[in-house]
Amino acid sequence: MDPLSLTKSEAEQRRLPQTRLSLLISRGLDRVASVVSCIWVLLLLIIVVNVTARYVFGEGRIEFEEAQWHLYAMGFLLGLSICFDSDDHIRVDVIHDQLSLRAKAWIELYGLLLLFFPFVTLVLVFSIPFVQYSFTIGEISSAPGGLPYRWIIKSALFIGFALLAVAGIGRLSRVSACLFAVPRGAPNR
Amino acid sequence: MMINDVMSLLMFVSFIGLIFTGFPVAWILGGLSIVFTAIAIILDIDLGFTIGVDWAYTSVAIDRMWDVMNNWVLVALPMFIFMGLMLDRSGVAADLMTNLVKLFGRVRGGLAITVTIIGVLLAAVTGIIGASVVLLAMLGLPVMLQHGYKKELAVGTVCAVGSLGILMPPSIMLVLMADRLAMSVGDLFLGAVFPGLLLSGLYIVYMLVYTRLRPNAAPVPDEIEPVDLALVMGVFKAVLPPAGLILAVLGSIFFGIATPTEAAGVGAFGATLLALVNRQLSMDVLRKVLRQTTTTTAFIFAIFMGATAYSLVLRGLGGDELIEGALLGLPFEPTGIIISILVFTFVLGFFLDWIEISLIVLPLVAPVVVNLGFDLVWFTVVFAVCLQTSFLTPPVGFAIFYLKGVAPPEIDVATIYRGVIPFIILQLVGLAIIFVWDDLATWLPQFTY
Repeated sequence: MDPLSLTKSEAEQRRLPQTRLSLLISRGLDRVASVVSCIWVLLLLIIVVNVTARYVFGEGRIEFEEAQWHLYAMGFLLGLSICFDSDDHIRVDVIHDQLSLRAKAWIELYGLLLLFFPFVTLVLVFSIPFVQYSFTIGEISSAPGGLPYRWIIKSALFIGFALLAVAGIGRLSRVSACLFAVPRGAPNR
Repeated sequence: MMINDVMSLLMFVSFIGLIFTGFPVAWILGGLSIVFTAIAIILDIDLGFTIGVDWAYTSVAIDRMWDVMNNWVLVALPMFIFMGLMLDRSGVAADLMTNLVKLFGRVRGGLAITVTIIGVLLAAVTGIIGASVVLLAMLGLPVMLQHGYKKELAVGTVCAVGSLGILMPPSIMLVLMADRLAMSVGDLFLGAVFPGLLLSGLYIVYMLVYTRLRPNAAPVPDEIEPVDLALVMGVFKAVLPPAGLILAVLGSIFFGIATPTEAAGVGAFGATLLALVNRQLSMDVLRKVLRQTTTTTAFIFAIFMGATAYSLVLRGLGGDELIEGALLGLPFEPTGIIISILVFTFVLGFFLDWIEISLIVLPLVAPVVVNLGFDLVWFTVVFAVCLQTSFLTPPVGFAIFYLKGVAPPEIDVATIYRGVIPFIILQLVGLAIIFVWDDLATWLPQFTY
């Protein structure tokens, strides 16, 4: 076994049937995953460049420091949906592991409908005025030399949770395929 | 009892109850914030209770999430995670194993000591407690069993050393704790250095003494290479890169050369270079490490997002005052109150991961601790050791759980339980020492720049 792939996510996924919709969503999120990978590389390089610059030219650049948390915030927010899709979010599986697939699917159904979607909806609904406000007042960084257009990074919150909602819909279709046979499971690739 | 107190308690109890369904912890936390806001509104409108929590209040969660987004200190998390994962892939661990075994193999119990040293050197790998347990189990367990080590000793070593990694700086758990308590990450890192070394020292002393008393628990291999220059050089070459990297990261924070965020970024870069030099770096490895960085970062921050909303609503219901009142109302001296907090944390650690505990419980109890006049760095370190111990404790220690997943089939759960018991005792001894002799945690941080 690969020491890094700790989760049983693959076995788990093999058991909940895939649907056409969930496969489509997974493919889309794979693209997002490559974007996030690039974000980490970029973040790493910017930190290294900024530290070097500080020692060579005597001072680091404020844009670079701000770019660091911009990238980090985008990275983890976009990552939420990717992690959801590969079912890597932390579960306490002491009891969960002993349950039948159908029991797990029921838990997943209620959890998604009563906990996951309400939470995601709250964030989506309230992040719209949050971004709008920043846009209308033309909010910029308060630091001299900081980055402009603060609404762009603020909208990462909305985008991250919107993708998470999409990933949630994909999972919901699989749960429903398992419990109610609607939609029909897609043949494995 | 006030209606608010009932609501706070219910919110806490539903959380503990719901996590056993196996639904992801992050969404349980986030979802409960919505459910309890809704209940509060219903109680307010239909029954006329004034709870003080409504949608406008809960929407403040967005601002709290923004505080997490524009937090420069937390940028260190994905970078330390990347560093750990890259170090894991860099072949450094395997190098350490082959070389240290040759050096320590001649000592009785030497293999267990080797595993301990590797665990301490690779402590950065342990973003997730599972990663280091799995790494050490794959690396060290087969060798120890092959050489006829007693199974209990072998698995106990792997579990204990693996969980030690979440404590040894640079540790992402300490970054998160420092952030939540508005402490300096550097101070907390330095505060954990001696306690971490103390615990690993206790492990090594135990291994030496135990194997001396029970020689057949750890046979010395028959054919032993003589110690010559080549061997010493080999060991040196294996130990230098990871030790150098960790010293560089900690040192640059200690001497004020770099912020923890920068140190993390540079450390991540260094780990990548190490992998390159060891010819372990390929596009495929890089892609996997990056992908794993994404998921590990995301599951931590998912809980962060959920816990933000959860804590906000719990605070709105008056959960803070409830906890503070309950703790201060305990019929104990201040020290007794601290011990009660630790016992409570210890029990929570059976089924909650360090992420939830650091995000929810620690901020709730920290003000009480400060009120009582204790040093926050000391307390956080003690808290961290306590948490780490509870991951070792049956019936549901995380370390045990992960080890069972990768151990050969002849190792059953009972063996693992028996194996970890001596280490739990060592942990408690270590905890008591740090508790009584608080200089261990507070001495080093006072020298930071």
